[in-house]
Amino acid sequence: MVNVFNVQIFFVVFREALEAVIVVSVLLAFLKQGLGGASDDPLVYKKLVRQVWIGAGLGVLICLIIGGAFIGTFYGLGRDIWSKSEDLWEGIFCIIATVLISVMGIPMLRINKMKEKWRVKLARALLKKPSSRAEKWKIGYLTKRYALFFLPFITCLREGLEAVVFVGGVGISEPASSFPLPVVCGLIAGIVVGVLLYYFGSSVSLQIFLVISTCILYLIAAGLFSRGVWFFENYKYSQQTGGDAAENGSGPGTYDIAKSVWHVNCCNPLTDHGWDVFNALLGWQNSATYGSVISYNIYWLAVIAVLVLMYYEEKTGHLPFAKGLTLGKLNPMYYVKGKKKDELTQEEKEELFEQVKHKKLVSGSGAEEELSLTDKEAK
Amino acid sequence: MLILRVVYALVWALLSVSPKTHVFHFNLTYVDADADGTFSRRMIGINNQWPLPTIRVKKNDRIQIHFTNLLETKASLHFHGLFQQGTNAMDGPEMVTQCPVAPGSTFLYDFKVTKQAGTYWYHSHSGSQYADGLRGILIVEDTEQDYHFHFDEEVVLSVGEHYHQESSEVLSKFMSRYNPTGAEPIPQNSLFNETKNVTWHVEPGKTYLLRIVNMGLFTSQYLSIEDHTFTIVEADGVFVEPQEVDSLYIAVAQRYSVLVKSKKSTKKNYRFLNIIDQEMLDVLPADLQVISTNWMVYNDDVEMPSPLENNDKSFENQLAKMHPFDDFYLVPLGKEALLPDADVVITLDFTMDVLGDGVTYASFNGVSYVPPKVPTLYSVVSSGKYANNQQVYGSNTNTFVIQNNEVVDIVLNNMDPGKHPFHLHGHTFQVISRSPEGMDEEDPIKFDPNNSSHTNYPEYPMIRDTVQVHPNGFFVLRFKADNPGVWFFHCHVDWHLEQGLAITFVEAPFEIQKQKIIPNHYDNCKSSNVSTIGNAAGNYGETKESWLNLQGENVQVAPLPAGFTTKGYVAMILCTLVAVYGVWSIYKYGMEDVNSEDTEAVIRKLYDILRTNGALEPEYDDGDEELLIAS
Repeated sequence: MVNVFNVQIFFVVFREALEAVIVVSVLLAFLKQGLGGASDDPLVYKKLVRQVWIGAGLGVLICLIIGGAFIGTFYGLGRDIWSKSEDLWEGIFCIIATVLISVMGIPMLRINKMKEKWRVKLARALLKKPSSRAEKWKIGYLTKRYALFFLPFITCLREGLEAVVFVGGVGISEPASSFPLPVVCGLIAGIVVGVLLYYFGSSVSLQIFLVISTCILYLIAAGLFSRGVWFFENYKYSQQTGGDAAENGSGPGTYDIAKSVWHVNCCNPLTDHGWDVFNALLGWQNSATYGSVISYNIYWLAVIAVLVLMYYEEKTGHLPFAKGLTLGKLNPMYYVKGKKKDELTQEEKEELFEQVKHKKLVSGSGAEEELSLTDKEAK
Repeated sequence: MLILRVVYALVWALLSVSPKTHVFHFNLTYVDADADGTFSRRMIGINNQWPLPTIRVKKNDRIQIHFTNLLETKASLHFHGLFQQGTNAMDGPEMVTQCPVAPGSTFLYDFKVTKQAGTYWYHSHSGSQYADGLRGILIVEDTEQDYHFHFDEEVVLSVGEHYHQESSEVLSKFMSRYNPTGAEPIPQNSLFNETKNVTWHVEPGKTYLLRIVNMGLFTSQYLSIEDHTFTIVEADGVFVEPQEVDSLYIAVAQRYSVLVKSKKSTKKNYRFLNIIDQEMLDVLPADLQVISTNWMVYNDDVEMPSPLENNDKSFENQLAKMHPFDDFYLVPLGKEALLPDADVVITLDFTMDVLGDGVTYASFNGVSYVPPKVPTLYSVVSSGKYANNQQVYGSNTNTFVIQNNEVVDIVLNNMDPGKHPFHLHGHTFQVISRSPEGMDEEDPIKFDPNNSSHTNYPEYPMIRDTVQVHPNGFFVLRFKADNPGVWFFHCHVDWHLEQGLAITFVEAPFEIQKQKIIPNHYDNCKSSNVSTIGNAAGNYGETKESWLNLQGENVQVAPLPAGFTTKGYVAMILCTLVAVYGVWSIYKYGMEDVNSEDTEAVIRKLYDILRTNGALEPEYDDGDEELLIAS
């Protein structure tokens, strides 16, 4: 089953599709509220809505093409360079996949935060003044005119390429046949959830769905982490025995007795049908090592710790025992990207959204209207 | 004058016929040597010489060897093929008939060579030590009249393998959990007379007697001289009806004497090939010289043929050319008839298993030989009236007690896809049945007494002391227990011996007790800290129970745990609990996000809609109209 449907790929695509749909829904919501004079003129409204859809659709399409081509050529060029140290590569890819999945999993539980983040980002992008006069004339003109095309286009393109990279990283050790199905399912699932979010807001039932899917995701990630460590240990053993011990089946002599926690001669996820699913979902090994068992527990403990910290921060605004410190501040990128100055208070955010409502975009007549940020008079 | 001459002649005749005592002082020392011309390493030599000297005695002579161990490890010496009739204590295997000779000790081997003549050899019987060079040839000459063939000159030849590393290192890598398939260590080279590229100068028109010994510890070899034939006249000290063959297949520890007739012309020189049986190697390194070329030189002035190519194709070609004779069909000259039906049949099912330490061990009937705490011979001697009780000799030594003059059958079923040469100390045996190679690994050919093709024993069976069993096949050996002693029966591939592929025969224990064991042997035990009294566990006492008490004996490693152990259950439960807690945390965190903000907006929206449509009361309470008017 794992050869036809790769669960990690499904979740990566799901998450990215969800984000893309959120972008679209946020822009549509802005339009409804009056961005670009959409609420004045139904024709303008329709045009702008169409721009959004075309932009998003094109972005996604190009991503799929690029992604398909990338993965296709990648599989075309021999993967065999890794067959010699196969176990080592498998282990590395499992760890990469775990990290990717873990990082993208938790935000899914805070869908509203995600939506909020996009609202601010997109609002800022729409209101940004060009920095120089020259720039204003070259690209500024075009992008301003078709802002509602370029914005979703570029956003979806970027998100999509991110997805392609993630999918490549997560699925690199899997056969090419396991790609198409989860990609399609992920797209469908992401779109459905995004649409539900748009129309009904974040309801309890949606949340439960997200919680369940995140639980499954983290079970898979824990299993992957354990599996990665298992592959490393297997690689080491194979190096020491000078061959691929696992090729001899599941019997005695195919594993290192000194590192074994349990071993049964059946139910090998690498060779026995059905047990590979058990392995994909829960990290089952017929020959468990200290490494694989301990790493499984450590992973879960790490996830629990992060959740507890995030929960605490949400309740109190800072990390335990460290007022003024938040999880965001622990991220080194925080200081690199200078995100500190980008943080907005609630009032600043409200102001931002008001401005977006009254933002005029370039109309068909070519007249350009701009509101400066200093103009605080609401319409 | 004449009388003097006659007296001289008589004295000379008497002297040459009466048995001699050969006294040797063998000091074991390390010698640096480069046997295969590519790598110099430390070998075990005698009196600072390596290769070791060839011992040559006549039938009925006495041999006395003062064996002094000047090495860093223990040692011992076994005289392969000699019966040691009445002198079981001189046989040599460690912990079977003697204690190991500790560094600094001297052990006296003192015995007569009776009832046999032929080609034999001597080697260490301590672990895999003889791979380090402690091996040499021993020839027991028969008197001229007993040779049923004529030869002009005798030549002694040994073949074997060579490892560049010391055998203790090779052994530790072999018996390790990182060698789960039990793949035997591959030698670096083969040797021909303990060297390589040998030239043997011959004269035309002569008959040479070639005494050939395989002194290796692992691989069998093919021997062949281009354009010449061998006539087998002796195998393992047993003279046979001459058999002309084009090549020889000789397993480790086996010996053959063959006649080679040199050609009448000296126009050419010929290749003398010794080829490793590469089927016995699990891995074939590209740089291994499987086919080695030596030369039979008639004429130094004529060009030597170039060495034969050493590759797979060449091996296949050569194999196709050679038709080594199946030694099962050699007929002993003495034409000893098939022994009567066996009094005791011992069936040995041989398997290789991975035990609890991840190492592959060899077992007979599930029991892998583990040396006892007291050498078995000393257990026999010290156990008095309990010596006939098999339990005295331990539960992990595969000991079988047989009675004096019983006819014994050994049925060995080889359930391993390898070739194994088995050797019995103290006896030659009749090879009465041997199956061909079993082609199905899952279903090896086992001896079936009801199968007539297994039991049509030859009238005059082949007799020798080392015989090879075919992969997944069986053989049946028959011998008469007419030599009281503790005799080891084991695979002569030393790696397998270390894995425990051995059994012990205690033959006529009460007769053994009549043999004298010299004090030097007991002294030697003191210096290596080994007890000489007690059963296999070193226990003894006044009662039968104390002699049958095996508590503390050496046993084999426990088998691998089959399935989940406590450790496994604990781990599984722990993982499950942690995962459940993790899932619960995700649920708890996730459900926090149900947005109250949105629901508030929805509720407000709802109220607005209701109000505009008049479904809701105005904001003021009906009952408070008075208040309103008042304000």
